[in-house]
Amino acid sequence: MAVVKSSSSCETVELVSAYLDGELQPGELDIVVEHLGECVRCIAEFHQLKEIRAALRTLPYLEIPDRLLPDTHPGEQLSAYLDGQLDTTEHDFVLSHIDFCTDCRLELHELDAARTAIRSLPGLEAPEFLEVHRERVERERWTRRRVAAAGVGIAAAAAIVFAAFGPAAQPVGDLDINPFLDQHQARVSVEPGINFVPALAPAGGAP
Amino acid sequence: MAEETTPTWEDVARIYGRKIYNFAYRLTGNPDDAADLVQEVLLRVRKGLASYVPGSFDGWLWRITRNAFLDGVRKKNRRPTSPLPDDDRNILGASPSPDEVLASVRLSDDIQAALLKVPLDFRECVVLCDVVGLTYEEISEAIEAPVGTVRSRIHRGRKMLRELLTWPL
Repeated sequence: MAVVKSSSSCETVELVSAYLDGELQPGELDIVVEHLGECVRCIAEFHQLKEIRAALRTLPYLEIPDRLLPDTHPGEQLSAYLDGQLDTTEHDFVLSHIDFCTDCRLELHELDAARTAIRSLPGLEAPEFLEVHRERVERERWTRRRVAAAGVGIAAAAAIVFAAFGPAAQPVGDLDINPFLDQHQARVSVEPGINFVPALAPAGGAP
Repeated sequence: MAEETTPTWEDVARIYGRKIYNFAYRLTGNPDDAADLVQEVLLRVRKGLASYVPGSFDGWLWRITRNAFLDGVRKKNRRPTSPLPDDDRNILGASPSPDEVLASVRLSDDIQAALLKVPLDFRECVVLCDVVGLTYEEISEAIEAPVGTVRSRIHRGRKMLRELLTWPL
């Protein structure tokens, strides 16, 4: 650890980089700030180090050749990412990958658009023909109950009723469509699964 | 990455591969050497994960990366980097022309060239700090040296770069 013996020795200049990096130890900040206020040489050094540090941190961040990676693209993980269904490791991988992979970023946007479109479908009213079937089913049930209650004496009448309604209604007679109608309601809002879909423009830049 | 979780080597490759590649490229200035280093690091990670004890994964990984780099340097018996000459004028040469000063598009090439002239001990600390983005503490773990040493090397490394580069940037 560098020790500041006195401001006049300019040993403080050793602390300037740590000052820029926010890496000073407790008590050193006051020493550096005070010294920079009175030492022209260290002020000049500060500005030069600040500039070289900025230049280093804006060096282009290079893409690693695909051949060095085991499985280059997240593929199916993109949809799971949108739905917030990845574990921490997978999530970190997808985030770091889409930061530089234009193809996957584009695919993610397309998937997100498709997902949003599907989830934005309006809930639908039941088609009219389904309502007709529903009424026929209800009527048939009512009829069957009445037939059972009437007993053998009106069996002939029940047979007529069945002849009138039975054959046509048979295919849907045992089908209860109410659950299907209920399930047909599409989700209107997009559930919060993700909180970040990057811009399509290449990201790049230092981490 | 959570400290409790031990990643697979595929995870390491996907998440850290690019950082390792950039670290290697900035240290060597050569894409082939950088690719070789990434492969070597991933190989060592694959072997090492079996005995890895969850803890500071970044420190463990960058220590492997640095050691792999140093081993590569020794094996290839590259020309060792030299300390800066005493006379800076030999490096700086004549005053730059206005065109040279304004050639900012070449800045990254200039910085890369200057980086390669900085002695390795200082270069690796500067790259780990300014390119990889590690803290002094993490660099300390990676190079197995005290934080004070890291701090001094980063400062001196940046000063060397400043003196090597045409000024102002």
